[in-house]
Amino acid sequence: MAEETRGRLGGTAEEARGRLGGTAEETRIVKRRIHEYPDDSWTIERALDDGAYEGARKAITTMQPDGVIDLVKASGLRGRGGAGFPTGVKWSFAPKDVFPKFIVVNHDEGEPGTFKDRELGENDPHQLIEGIIISAWAVQAARAFIYCRGEFALGSRRLDKAISDAYERGFLGEGIYGSDFDLEIVLHRGAGAYICGEESALLDSLEGFRGQPRLRPPFPAVKGLYGQPTIVNNTETLGNLPDIVLKGADWFRQWGTEKSPGTKVLSVSGHVNRPANYEVSMGTSLADVLELAGGMREGHTLKAIIPGGASAPLLTSTDIAMDFESLKDAGSMLGSGAVVFMDETTCMVRNALVTTAFFEHESCGKCTPCREGTWWGVKVLERIEEGDGRREDMDLLLDICDGIDGRAFCPLGDAAAWALRSNVKLFREEFEEHVSLGRCPFEDEERILVGANQGGGSGEAGVMPQPAAGVPSDADTQS
Amino acid sequence: MTTPAPNPYEQNRVQREQQGRAPRDERERVFDDELRAKAAEIVAKYPNPRSAVLPLLFLAQSVEGYVTEAGMREVAEILGQTPASVLAAGSFYSMIKKVPQGDYLISVCRNISCTHMGGRKLVAAVEERLGIADGETTADGKFTLETAECLATCDGAPTMQINYEDFYNVTPESLIEAVDRLESGQEVKSKREEPVRTAREIAYETAVVGIYKKMGEDMQTRTTGGEVLPPDMAPGFRPREPGTIEGGGPGEGRVSGG
Repeated sequence: MAEETRGRLGGTAEEARGRLGGTAEETRIVKRRIHEYPDDSWTIERALDDGAYEGARKAITTMQPDGVIDLVKASGLRGRGGAGFPTGVKWSFAPKDVFPKFIVVNHDEGEPGTFKDRELGENDPHQLIEGIIISAWAVQAARAFIYCRGEFALGSRRLDKAISDAYERGFLGEGIYGSDFDLEIVLHRGAGAYICGEESALLDSLEGFRGQPRLRPPFPAVKGLYGQPTIVNNTETLGNLPDIVLKGADWFRQWGTEKSPGTKVLSVSGHVNRPANYEVSMGTSLADVLELAGGMREGHTLKAIIPGGASAPLLTSTDIAMDFESLKDAGSMLGSGAVVFMDETTCMVRNALVTTAFFEHESCGKCTPCREGTWWGVKVLERIEEGDGRREDMDLLLDICDGIDGRAFCPLGDAAAWALRSNVKLFREEFEEHVSLGRCPFEDEERILVGANQGGGSGEAGVMPQPAAGVPSDADTQS
Repeated sequence: MTTPAPNPYEQNRVQREQQGRAPRDERERVFDDELRAKAAEIVAKYPNPRSAVLPLLFLAQSVEGYVTEAGMREVAEILGQTPASVLAAGSFYSMIKKVPQGDYLISVCRNISCTHMGGRKLVAAVEERLGIADGETTADGKFTLETAECLATCDGAPTMQINYEDFYNVTPESLIEAVDRLESGQEVKSKREEPVRTAREIAYETAVVGIYKKMGEDMQTRTTGGEVLPPDMAPGFRPREPGTIEGGGPGEGRVSGG
């Protein structure tokens, strides 16, 4: 039953395949343990039963640090946080003769639509710790920091317990696996700032300053935290390392494409029947991803897709492969892998407003184009949405985008411009309709505001009363 | 003048005296001895004390529900910074609260997926039930409402957090029921069966997370904040001959000369 499994962490691809009879399937590397042991994947007992820390043992006891870097380079693993920079290459930028070096884990997930690192941190913290040990060994760092998003209360609790357990069992601390390699992990909590997901802003925040991006170069790998060589990696990136070390680069390369090997966890949400994290081979078609997620809610048609988080320009077709190159060629980006499907009930002006308001709120204020541009964007979008739009507003919005794009200090401003521009360009008629009608044509609040998820209680929501096990198609007629 | 610049905290005390105001008394002290000890443990986590500014602000927040001026000054004093620099850092982050807060912070997501799935209706429901708008606190000091940016729970849109515990597929009815239960002192559990704590409890938890007994004390002393350490002082690293790995794990294949 869809309503029993929907919303449950771990995804339900098996059921999806069984019911739909389709070909779409998940390929699980970083989500394997979570999927196989949904009840206790985060405990050290279960993780050890499942072979956790064997990859780290193999790296430290049988491999040279440079050998690990070469292996990761050969695997072609690319950063999963958004930029897609080759991980092994990044590691090799750290100077060999400067100490101390630091590993910093970017667990400050905040890209709208993304919820993969939350799941990985909450439900498989030991995989993350193992990945940290491997990367620390590779670059010879003796101290690692996990920058955990401030709002992740449970995630922080689970990470805290996992690190504590790992210390108890000797996977962390002094002389790991009997070697002379020491590693200490510091769990640091953010305090609610999206920009701290940008690596140099994250480092400033970790040093106790306002989280504002730094000018680069020097890149963090050369001068990062406290001015020392620092490798900043995303949680999902590190999660791939234990299997790469244990099974090799060729094993990893059997999935994905030549330039984007391996898998990607896609956070699928929006007007689909089964929103969840789905780990698929890189290059899986977006249509298959939609099928995995159970398709659009019944009786509705696809209108727009955000393929890689709020920063990514919109798509209107599912006929595209989900990997770094294909999406770049299509004028969008894979980003953090957040896929939001929107059906025909979605007001694109509101979508643009919500997205731009987000960037306006999260703009750090360091550079003028981003701070002022996003603010003006919100003002103009608000008046269009409220029915006071002017005929020239669409061109004004595009002008604002041109004023930000390429002129901002860090990618946040660029992202704000890309997102807003694609909304205006792809759905210009809808913007114009708002202006000519003098109101939002989607003002039928009942229809828009009551989500498809009305029908989808998972039975796990604590005191939340579960609405009648509904069919998603009923939802838009309920109040 | 060749005398060293006085401590800004001390300066403030002198200034207060000159203005005829009473010196800070015990009531103004935010951290008691126990919290002072805790603060020292937190500072010891980091190579540079300045990194502890956010955890210490959370610690101050756990005492009074928000960071008061006295709290900020005390954090500055502990870290050897100016109060202004602590304010500069603290005011950047939305989880550091500068005004009095309710016991329960209701954060309703206003981002993409949640908006498209009906999140705005949840804000309206709280506004109607509690009579507070975005950013306001009820008169009895029980609830604060805020609209939040993406909470990374889009698979359960529309979502909200109460004191940072997650609630999925929230409806106006289920939201009101949670508010009713909290108001009458009953337990409310999140999507993942975590009980909702009070704002002060959660601030304390956020402040003190990540203090481990087995953290190498040796490493603490070998690392100093912000300074470039010579390689032989780098914590945990002992330069080794290229091509050899000494002391592999028990029973594991060791390589040498490879």
